[in-house]
Amino acid sequence: MGLIGKSVFRKEAWEKVTGTARYTADYPATDSLHAKIVVSPYAHAVIKSIHIAKAKEVFGVRAVITGEHFPLTGEEIRDRPVLAKNKVRHHGEAVALVVADTPQQAKRAAELIEVEYEQLPVVHSPTEALKPNAPLVHEQLGSYKKEDRVYPEPGTNVANRTKIRKGSMERGWNLSEVVVEERFSFSPSDHAAMETRCSTAEIHPDGNVYIMTSSQAPFMVKRLIHDYFGVDIGKIVVETPLVGGAYGGKASIQLELLAFIASIAVGGRKVRILNIREQDMLTSPCHIGLDATVKLGSTRDGKIQAAELLFLFDGGAYSDKGADLNRAAAVDCTGPYDIDHVWCDSLCVYTNHPYAAPFRGFSHSELLFTVERTMDVLADKLGMDRLQLRYINAIRPGDTTPTQVKLNKSNVGNLPECIVRLKKMIDWDMGMIQDLGNDKLRVKGVSCIWKTSTIESDAGSGVTLSFNPDGSINLISGVIEIGTGTKTILAQILAERLKMDIRMVHVQMKVNTQSTPEHWKTVASRGTFMAGRAVLAAAEDLIEQLKSIASCVLRVQAADLEVGYGKVFLRDEPETHLDIKDVAYGYVYPNGNGIGGQIIGRGHYNLRRLTYLDKETGAGKPGPEWSVGAQAVEIEYDKKHLTYRIVRAFSAVDIGTVLNEKAARGQVMGAMSMGLAFGGRETFVFDEWGRVLNPQLRTYRPLRYGEHPEYHVEFVVTPQLDAAYGARGAGEHGLMGMPAALGNALSLAAGVKLNELPLIPEQIWKMKQKEGHSHASL
Amino acid sequence: MLPYDFDYYLPKTVEEGVRLFQQLEREGKIPVYYSGGTEIITLGRLNLVETNAVIDIKAIGECKEFTIKDQQLIVGSALSLTAVEEKNVFPLLSKAASGVADHTARNKITVGGNICGQIFYREAVLPFLLTDSHVVIAGKNGLRQTPIHQLFKRNLKLQKGEFLVQLHTDRRFLRMPYVCVKRRQQWDTGYPLITVAVLKKEDETRIAISGLCPFPFRAFEMEKSIQQVGPLGDRIQEALRHVPQPVLDDVEGSSGYRVFVLEQMLQDLLRELEGNHP
Repeated sequence: MGLIGKSVFRKEAWEKVTGTARYTADYPATDSLHAKIVVSPYAHAVIKSIHIAKAKEVFGVRAVITGEHFPLTGEEIRDRPVLAKNKVRHHGEAVALVVADTPQQAKRAAELIEVEYEQLPVVHSPTEALKPNAPLVHEQLGSYKKEDRVYPEPGTNVANRTKIRKGSMERGWNLSEVVVEERFSFSPSDHAAMETRCSTAEIHPDGNVYIMTSSQAPFMVKRLIHDYFGVDIGKIVVETPLVGGAYGGKASIQLELLAFIASIAVGGRKVRILNIREQDMLTSPCHIGLDATVKLGSTRDGKIQAAELLFLFDGGAYSDKGADLNRAAAVDCTGPYDIDHVWCDSLCVYTNHPYAAPFRGFSHSELLFTVERTMDVLADKLGMDRLQLRYINAIRPGDTTPTQVKLNKSNVGNLPECIVRLKKMIDWDMGMIQDLGNDKLRVKGVSCIWKTSTIESDAGSGVTLSFNPDGSINLISGVIEIGTGTKTILAQILAERLKMDIRMVHVQMKVNTQSTPEHWKTVASRGTFMAGRAVLAAAEDLIEQLKSIASCVLRVQAADLEVGYGKVFLRDEPETHLDIKDVAYGYVYPNGNGIGGQIIGRGHYNLRRLTYLDKETGAGKPGPEWSVGAQAVEIEYDKKHLTYRIVRAFSAVDIGTVLNEKAARGQVMGAMSMGLAFGGRETFVFDEWGRVLNPQLRTYRPLRYGEHPEYHVEFVVTPQLDAAYGARGAGEHGLMGMPAALGNALSLAAGVKLNELPLIPEQIWKMKQKEGHSHASL
Repeated sequence: MLPYDFDYYLPKTVEEGVRLFQQLEREGKIPVYYSGGTEIITLGRLNLVETNAVIDIKAIGECKEFTIKDQQLIVGSALSLTAVEEKNVFPLLSKAASGVADHTARNKITVGGNICGQIFYREAVLPFLLTDSHVVIAGKNGLRQTPIHQLFKRNLKLQKGEFLVQLHTDRRFLRMPYVCVKRRQQWDTGYPLITVAVLKKEDETRIAISGLCPFPFRAFEMEKSIQQVGPLGDRIQEALRHVPQPVLDDVEGSSGYRVFVLEQMLQDLLRELEGNHP
């Protein structure tokens, strides 16, 4: 049907453009009670007492809940109470919960709860957290239950440490004629999805638990409520409708647990919690921060010999996915370069900051900021063209990754080609700096990217297909529609395989864990890859069943039949055929006899041949494939005011076969804009007590209309052989190189090393002050 | 979501508005005048505005006036910022107003609300400070008209129960050369790091500033320095010595950086207005 690459519009487009699409909080709450969260105003404090009497007196209040008797939670390490117990560990931590008939009553009552605190010394950064006398965020770290292959270090603030030991550092440094070392730092920030998180929970008299939640991981909600609270897993049903932006923030399980304990407190009645923006930013998990040191050694002709990297991730008060983020950063710690000798310690460190969820790119934009900035410093020291240095060292088939995976033409994209393409896109040969006069410079900065996914080694995805009487097909997948258009892509894959009209594919948008086959989590750019393979498997299943019935009716061998164009037909004699609609519910002979029955296609795909990482060396195969790309930004910099605007942003990415051109472009551009906002403006600002001063969109500002540069996206196509039609993951990659490219352009423009984020003009001013420049001498 | 309920009143006249306020107070209520309502909504949800009776002044004719009478431009306090921008009778006001919040919010935010609100940037007041405008205030004894400089000291010093009805500006000011520039922490959205409005009245250079300090002000002392003879750089350095205290030091920017930005802005603006002086 030629659907591959075609810009089919989203299956949910009409709903969205007419405003009728429903997100979790849009479902009527007429039969629901409402919960409000009381949060900690302090980053680290002992809870001396909680007075709830006044709150209980408020008309309409049904329950006031505090944290005494709930189990500890956490996906990697069980370190997090559902509601703070004994002490609070970050500003905005949930301390109590009020359930009332209306949101207003709950809010009023929540404001009447008095909590007495005694402030404790605050751990402000991962670097500080590792100092010998740093206060401990978790005194009982050694006693927590945890998953295997997470390595907390009791008695310290280290939640997890991943080590990469590849080659011999001694040999690497011996071969290095030029060495550079840079330090980096940035604070946690937020995802700032348009839809704030919302969860409802109710428990029926038969013990069945029903949850509706804006989540990327409804199947994980089910598993964790079972794990934490001992509810029979089959009795838990989780529903997720459309999600209004997630970016990893909705992969963590948090608000669901509050809704669940709230429902318990009111005898199982339905309770809804809708995050206000401030609590969505502070109480629910945020975007991880990082302190890092990167040291690279190279020969004089630019072949990198050694890399030594120390990543101290600011996991915040609880490890949640932080202890996985640090591991993912270790896996790809060198950036997309072939380096024989690598030493990396990547830590998830506890601090008194809000705790971290995944963030689009899963620690890659973060690690790449540090590596790619250092690449520019190295290029300068070598006196070498910045893209040439990257080209020479670019990872290629035959090379090995930091975890010693040998790459081939299928499992890694074509980075050299991306670099060549980028060079053309940005007129690299015209030079990096153009003086526009009037104190204005046009400056280019570049960066390369790569990423593999490091989700569970056997994570799986299932799909079922059912027919309608007209031969159209219902496609049911556990992928959450978080705005990426993945479910439309799945419809394209199905329509392509069955050579049918895509309008005849009906996609179920809402996921219900009781009736929708499981997709592990809608994360890590795995939707198209895993669910795409599951769709193909389900299509095969469907085809086999159609052929089996048709072979009977047509009295031919099934092997001689083909399915497509709404028919089952003889390959060599297509006019001998049956319409699918006459077979899909079983075939009825002219005399009334029926054979066969409703055809249901089922398919699954599980990641295969992935391994855990060795504790001491990191060796192992963490992910199926690496997507690569090269990116750039062009800025206009004002030497006098130290301000800049981003004029153009570029991506040349290898996402394999492009299944839906505009959707792919949209994903890459959208991710680029997020990367620029993260690099250029977004951060939490903390005060001396560790409180976040800007947990509002008034003062925490993603990019708005009018602030965007021109986006230029080109695709390099290296099909991934084991993916549906050769498509690689594409959801995150546009973001990953943007902060680094911006930092590289600005550092060049301003003539100072800019190694902290966000790259606001004041940061440039500070660095200039530090380096003793006075603005007058410019 | 506002956690509290409130009564809503829509007086048709100034007198009725003032009377309602007094009456509600006598009844033990906490009345507030209401114009655009953006602060009541956004600060109310954080309990930073508390009220149980709002008096909407948008139905009072005088508050919606936007005309020139007797050589005076009359700007009603309940005009929305976008209404002022679109008519563009007072280009400096249009410019200062257009930097506030975003377009959707400015459809609601009013001139009076911006000047009298809690959020301390109050950029809409800058043009009126530069043009020695008069404010018309409604109170117990009816309307009174006062020079803005007498009543606006960091904020508009209203007595309890009073409200701003109009601002009167001599029309000669409307066409005088001006520059108004808003600099933010980064790019085009957000509160001002610093907003500077400069008006040239014959040989006199007038300056008003928002965002530098936790209040907007007419920079009389700085103007004197700028007014002196000498190289522009020196005059600016002298002017910077008269920056009021405290200089803001917050999430938008440190105080040191703010002064750096102010210096750059003054150089640009004054060069533009004065021509290419040394």
